[in-house]
Amino acid sequence: MTAAFRYEFLMQVRKRSMWIANGVVVLLLGLLSARGREVGDLLHDPDAKATVTSVAVAINLILPVVYGCFLADRLVRDDKLGVAAILDVTPSSGAGRLAGKYLGACAAAAVPLAIVYFGFVALYAATSGRPVAFAWAAAVFAVVIAPAVLFVGAFALVVPLLIPAPLFRVLFVGYWFWGNAITPDAMPTLASSLVTPVGSYPLQELFGYRGPAGDTELAGPAPGAVFNFLRPEATPATAWLSVGVLLALAILVLSAAPALRARTTR
Amino acid sequence: MRIEISGLTKSFKGKGLALDGLDLLVPTGMFGLLGANGAGKTTLMRILAGLLRQTAGEVRIGGHDVTTRAGRLAVQRVLGYLPQDLGVYPDLSAREFLDYIGLLKGIDDRATRRRRVGELLEVVALTADADRRLRGYSGGMRRRVGIAQALLADPRLLIVDEPTAGLDPEERIRFRTLLSQLAGERTVLLSTHIVDDIAQTCRELAVLAKGRLVFRGTVDDLTRRADRRVWSVVTAGPAPTAGTVVSALPADGGLRYRVVAPGPPAPDAEPLPPTLEDGYLALAQAG
Repeated sequence: MTAAFRYEFLMQVRKRSMWIANGVVVLLLGLLSARGREVGDLLHDPDAKATVTSVAVAINLILPVVYGCFLADRLVRDDKLGVAAILDVTPSSGAGRLAGKYLGACAAAAVPLAIVYFGFVALYAATSGRPVAFAWAAAVFAVVIAPAVLFVGAFALVVPLLIPAPLFRVLFVGYWFWGNAITPDAMPTLASSLVTPVGSYPLQELFGYRGPAGDTELAGPAPGAVFNFLRPEATPATAWLSVGVLLALAILVLSAAPALRARTTR
Repeated sequence: MRIEISGLTKSFKGKGLALDGLDLLVPTGMFGLLGANGAGKTTLMRILAGLLRQTAGEVRIGGHDVTTRAGRLAVQRVLGYLPQDLGVYPDLSAREFLDYIGLLKGIDDRATRRRRVGELLEVVALTADADRRLRGYSGGMRRRVGIAQALLADPRLLIVDEPTAGLDPEERIRFRTLLSQLAGERTVLLSTHIVDDIAQTCRELAVLAKGRLVFRGTVDDLTRRADRRVWSVVTAGPAPTAGTVVSALPADGGLRYRVVAPGPPAPDAEPLPPTLEDGYLALAQAG
């Protein structure tokens, strides 16, 4: 597993296109924020927790689209490149290699995200003189951003075993905004539920985030909405449940990979 | 390390039988596997390497039953495999790629792995390019990386599928010699449709056709199949229609054809001593 982790990380992190795509998105985000004077306001906000959480929300809503698309070829490409046969005849465990590949690719995809996020946090801490921001940022990264990366990574690795990677990318972008950014009262959506990868429950219940204006219910039942069975009352316990459900779904999806691969290779 | 194959059958959905009740014994040493495209060579190699499951039949390698997980694992611990459609990771250098495969093959000690990778890069003459990304490698260079990865863990069983495809003549000869040197205490199974590769390296071989064994014996046995069946015909007219034309070279008075046929293809045809290629063609004609 460590070998696959190490080299999958190395290969993904060397992908110039990943850096360029992330750079372009961050630049656009920065320009949009600068126009609304949000960056300047944020840097002087006295509430460190609220500041690092709101920045995490912005980053976590956009950058997963980039890394989800970039991770989409990581598993299928072994067969496409003709490397799979060499890997499969080694005495290494297939499950270990899959886990290493998954974690290595996810870790590499999280690097640009971490650089952007902690880069901002460092700037904020220095500007506002609040080093506690690092602690909050680390907590938000661990509880909100990392589960999202792992959730998206699992689907991005496995679904292209069923459908072509370009089609997955198109569907994924559509899903991402439908399943995260749309409010449940507008149309049937998985947003604001336990399986919302941007982390509606932990953002609200563990970090007190309630939207840019501070008055939005991010999680919990929405009157009359479809899929309310996935929206229990928002509490710290259901927030942790949401994190657990996202990770469990990631593991479940990953565990289907060997059977899906065997379908095409044997 | 003997390979014992009995009644081996492999069918693919919608494609029929790739192997049809194959029985074959492969002894320790260098062993060739010949056959036309689609004869079943690659399917056999992939089953032996544990990449494919057979539909029926038995395969034992060094006493291990490769139909079981434990058997496959035991074989893979001593296996070096060079697939026909070899690929590499374009984002890694040759040294990194070999280091990765070395780790997966269980060479855990870093110093040992680095030394072994260095030795093999030297063997395949890639030391000077070892730290360049594989993206920029030519087909022949990638093939040499593939050869190096197959040899990484000092395998007792080496399965090589079309190993010299894409290599230039000098590289081909060097690799053939390397395989012969390795064969001593090991089993080297060389699958190819380049008859000369087998003629130059193997004493024994098998020929497959449509998933069945059509010959198993020595190189001399197969060569003798073409005794009194190889002819030289010089003509300025059309090529002889009887038999199979092996080659056509310019000569005084037209072209000199080398023909494998049961009888003289022309009244003035002269007999020639057969080669392994002639024997292979004679076998195909009889088939």
